[in-house]
Amino acid sequence: MRAAALGFIVLSLLAISCSRSSTKGGKRQFVVAFSQCNNAEPYRAAQNALMQKRFAGAGDVRLVISDAQQDNSKQIAQVETFIRERPDLLIVAPNERAALTAVMGEAMDAKIPVICLERDILQPYYTTYVHSDNVGIGRMAAEFIKNYLVKKYHRPKGNVVEMRGLLGVEGEISRYNGAQEVFKQYPDIKIVADPVADWLQARAKDRMTEVLRAQSSIDVVYGHNDPMAVGAYLAARELGREKEMIFVGVDGLGGPAGGIKKVMDGILAATFVYPLCVNQAVDVALHMLHDPGFQPQKQYVVPPQPVTPQNAAQLYQKLTVE
Amino acid sequence: MTAIPKRASFFWGKSAGERRDVSLSLAALIAICLLAIAISPTAFDGSRIFLELGNLTDILRQVSIIGIISLAMTFVILTGGIDLSVGSILALSTSVVALVLTHWNPGGAQPFVIAVAMLAALAVSTAAGAFQGAVIALFEVQPFVVTLAGMIGIRGLAKWLSNNANIDIGFGRDVASTFAGIFRGKSVIIGCYIGLALIFGLLLSWTVFGRHVRATGDNERASRYAGLPIRRIKVLVYALSGLLSGVAGILYAAENHQGNPNSGIAYELDAIAAVVIGGTRLSGGKGTILGTIVGTLMIGVLTNMLRLNNVDSNVEMMVKAVIIILAVAVQRQGRVAQ
Amino acid sequence: MPQEILRISDVDKSYDGVRALRGAGFSLLAGEVHALMGENGAGKSTLSKIIAGAVRADRGSLLIDGRVVTVNGPLDAQKLGISIIYQELDLFPNLTVAENMAIANHQFAEGGRVRFAELDRFAERFLKQVGLSISPRRPVASLSIGEMQLVAIARALSMNARIIIMDEPTSSLFDDSVERLFRLISDLKSKGVAIIYVSHKMDEIFRICDRVTVMRDGSTVGMRAIAEITPAELIRMMVGREWKARERPVRQTGDALLAVSGLTTRKLRDVSFEVRKGEVLGIAGLVGAGRSSLGAALIGLDKWKRGQMTLHGRPARPDSVRKAFKLGLRLLPEDRKLQGLMMQMSVLENCTIADLGQLAPDGVVRRRREVSAVQPLFLHLTLKAASLRAPVGTLSGGNQQKVLFARCLLANPEVLFLDDPTRGIDVGAKEDIYAIIERLAEQGKGVIFVSSELPELLRCCDRILVMREGEITARFDAATATQEDIMTFATNPVSSGEFV
Repeated sequence: MRAAALGFIVLSLLAISCSRSSTKGGKRQFVVAFSQCNNAEPYRAAQNALMQKRFAGAGDVRLVISDAQQDNSKQIAQVETFIRERPDLLIVAPNERAALTAVMGEAMDAKIPVICLERDILQPYYTTYVHSDNVGIGRMAAEFIKNYLVKKYHRPKGNVVEMRGLLGVEGEISRYNGAQEVFKQYPDIKIVADPVADWLQARAKDRMTEVLRAQSSIDVVYGHNDPMAVGAYLAARELGREKEMIFVGVDGLGGPAGGIKKVMDGILAATFVYPLCVNQAVDVALHMLHDPGFQPQKQYVVPPQPVTPQNAAQLYQKLTVE
Repeated sequence: MTAIPKRASFFWGKSAGERRDVSLSLAALIAICLLAIAISPTAFDGSRIFLELGNLTDILRQVSIIGIISLAMTFVILTGGIDLSVGSILALSTSVVALVLTHWNPGGAQPFVIAVAMLAALAVSTAAGAFQGAVIALFEVQPFVVTLAGMIGIRGLAKWLSNNANIDIGFGRDVASTFAGIFRGKSVIIGCYIGLALIFGLLLSWTVFGRHVRATGDNERASRYAGLPIRRIKVLVYALSGLLSGVAGILYAAENHQGNPNSGIAYELDAIAAVVIGGTRLSGGKGTILGTIVGTLMIGVLTNMLRLNNVDSNVEMMVKAVIIILAVAVQRQGRVAQ
Repeated sequence: MPQEILRISDVDKSYDGVRALRGAGFSLLAGEVHALMGENGAGKSTLSKIIAGAVRADRGSLLIDGRVVTVNGPLDAQKLGISIIYQELDLFPNLTVAENMAIANHQFAEGGRVRFAELDRFAERFLKQVGLSISPRRPVASLSIGEMQLVAIARALSMNARIIIMDEPTSSLFDDSVERLFRLISDLKSKGVAIIYVSHKMDEIFRICDRVTVMRDGSTVGMRAIAEITPAELIRMMVGREWKARERPVRQTGDALLAVSGLTTRKLRDVSFEVRKGEVLGIAGLVGAGRSSLGAALIGLDKWKRGQMTLHGRPARPDSVRKAFKLGLRLLPEDRKLQGLMMQMSVLENCTIADLGQLAPDGVVRRRREVSAVQPLFLHLTLKAASLRAPVGTLSGGNQQKVLFARCLLANPEVLFLDDPTRGIDVGAKEDIYAIIERLAEQGKGVIFVSSELPELLRCCDRILVMREGEITARFDAATATQEDIMTFATNPVSSGEFV
């Protein structure tokens, strides 16, 4: 019985700490709910930081962010709970296309405006979809790789390892397809391995170690995001083979942990800025909140940008969020 | 003289001790519900969001999948064992059902294909469970070890079958989409849970098998002396665990519109937590289905309450931990003299 | 003139209200080998454990070298020079010989680090004293039982023991190990070490002991010098006066109901006997004689290597417990907590658990049927339980035993094997059980009654078999048998003409 009493005290304290965070009445505050799929990825952490900064700057928006920790069921449940709370706007970065489609449909049915951020779903159950051009990035990366190989071997030939992210995500599929469009034209450029590392650096390191043992000659590692490219680099360095190949990534985040710094430090030969899409999304969001009559486009595309040792330092200054 | 008991009570445990445990858990559940109502955010019209029918059914749907697994886990734990492989069997089940639905084109009617896909998933899941049960029963290896190996191996099998890729189930008119459309419905999922809960509750309270399960966990040696078919009982409980994980997997695939060999990670821990909070002892012999249901709901209400109030999901996990320890501590306070 | 090295007196000890020791006492001279004898349950183990500090007495005083001392735990006893070697040898099988000797040994100073060379030197000194030439680095599990025993003695010596208690030391030893042990014991004697030798084996006691103390029912009955007593007199002291039996019921026994011949299992050797209709067949013997193993074999738990069984003249073989049940055989296990009851389940459930197949043929248990099947049994057994739903753990020992009886009788068996049915229950409940057994015999069943209490066997049984080390060593008619006879054949091998 004593334990039960203790339990109630603990829960009550919890309750008090919870209730302090919910506001009732007062000046008209817009509530924006953002369902983020995985705070653990640096790209997404940067998204969160920028979004918080922008909405705080607007002054009349209360932003709530949930983290689904890369679990579909969790994200579905979190979105459902958000729907219950009837926010003024719902932003969703879906963990996987198929899983999140239906619940976003439910949000639309509940007359909540939905911005689908950076990754898409199977059906257009959103008010607007803000994304970048992953296919274009794939093409850019492949062109860069081809040019490098031509310089190395005087013709377009070489062994490429592709480090892939979550296979159910549009970004992954597009970055792969875009690169394929280019690689297909050069039959001597061979993809000798394409392991899946789910966007995670640690997993990429493990996968790369396996590849290194199986492959004696590798020219380029094309990581579909920077953490995976870096993980591959670390694996190669452990086995003393990092000078044998170059590492190319995607994301190009600012800040000391981001891909741009890695290019400056010489770990990555190049990366491609995959815009956070947050600035565009927040612009559209604020417009939607402040102007009820505003009809956003169905899609907004934010263009990518290559990062090489030549322009790295400059881009670093520009893209680092304080 | 000895008192003759009245009609057998439905779900209630056999003894005063078990009844007290379930009552305590129920009281705790009611307390948490009251707390959730008290701190629930309100909608524009002043009604409490927590109490909305939509939210309450959301909670039920969100706990159903792990709830279904917990029903069979109760039986396993009652025999003094444990099943760590349930999450992996769920993953296997989602992959099998999605694979059959998307790759098999016999040209028959959709209901037929859906039925075959589900049967295939259930067959594979039950077999996985029964196999582990056989190893535990025949070779007398500890359940923890066998199902730990199963957890790893079965997930490997799921990944191998699906080539470590998700198998998307779309929104069109093909058989896979129809399947998802039917089985992802809230009422279907909740209905499955309630139906299975009733069946398993009756199984435990009213059948010979239920008695045998409890006796085995209470005192295996004495059960042997009493002529109980210990090996058969063990194989059956693990087979049931596999079967229900298979059911959960089918519903998961429909709900998430995909077969996912990486799903269900750590589900075994949630299932065990629900069983333990509900009053079942890990050492076996003592426990009820009603208790497990209460434990499941408690976790669900708690999680919902925290989310409605926008508490960090990591704090959620810490609160869950505290609840588990409290639940077990309270139960320890009234032990039956042995 | 050897001085008194130890004197313990007026020791009382109760376990859960049951008196284990009642004013027991004992005296030991330096350099002597002093035997401690008594039947099962007489209190020898408890007294030994109290001296060794493993158990605390409720009352009593202990003098070492004439000084009053208090022993609060095994370490205190160690420091006083008292050491005990248990029958089950409390060595750690996974550790080496040297490590076993050094653990919890106040003579081996343990610093933070383990110094292996020192460990070895320490161990070797004492291993030499007991005549063991093995490497101290060997894991104990790799040694033979005889060697393990010597290691245990070496450990005792390393603790500077002046008093060593040996509990049934030769129970697992064979010929030359026994000789080696006896040589060591004489050696220790000459060094002034006193040994308390707890044993049943008459021949050994008469060979190496100087004096003997006999215990019975928790008290010390007497102490004699070995040179001044005969084995027969010793046995008489162990069993006490003849029990004034109740009028033994005059019973008509019928034809053979169960006949077993040549039964051999892992634990039994060529056992043959028969049980007649309406007969109560007693089985006497010491712990480890194989009585419970006989039950396990009859009920289908132990594999039959060889042997035949017939029921009503027709051949039968209990291949499994279920098969034995079907043949009409039932067993009441020796330890109701470990082998009998499901403590967390109710009284009703415990009664019916073995027969649910019959009570519920369609798999669904109907409470009314259960209760009506059990009700009449409760009447016959005069079982008192507040509610059939109460957990069986809340019942008294006697009533718990009756629950197990109810379970056995539910399917109306023909042959019952009762393994120590009155163990740990009070006198009143015992009478109830005797009455139940009589009634079962009157109903024409065959009852096999295993017990360590000779009086109750003599009272309830028609015939008595005596077992020793897996074999039947004697058969008696209960009307004419005496406790001495039974005890003799329980403690000695078959070739024992001199002890009649």
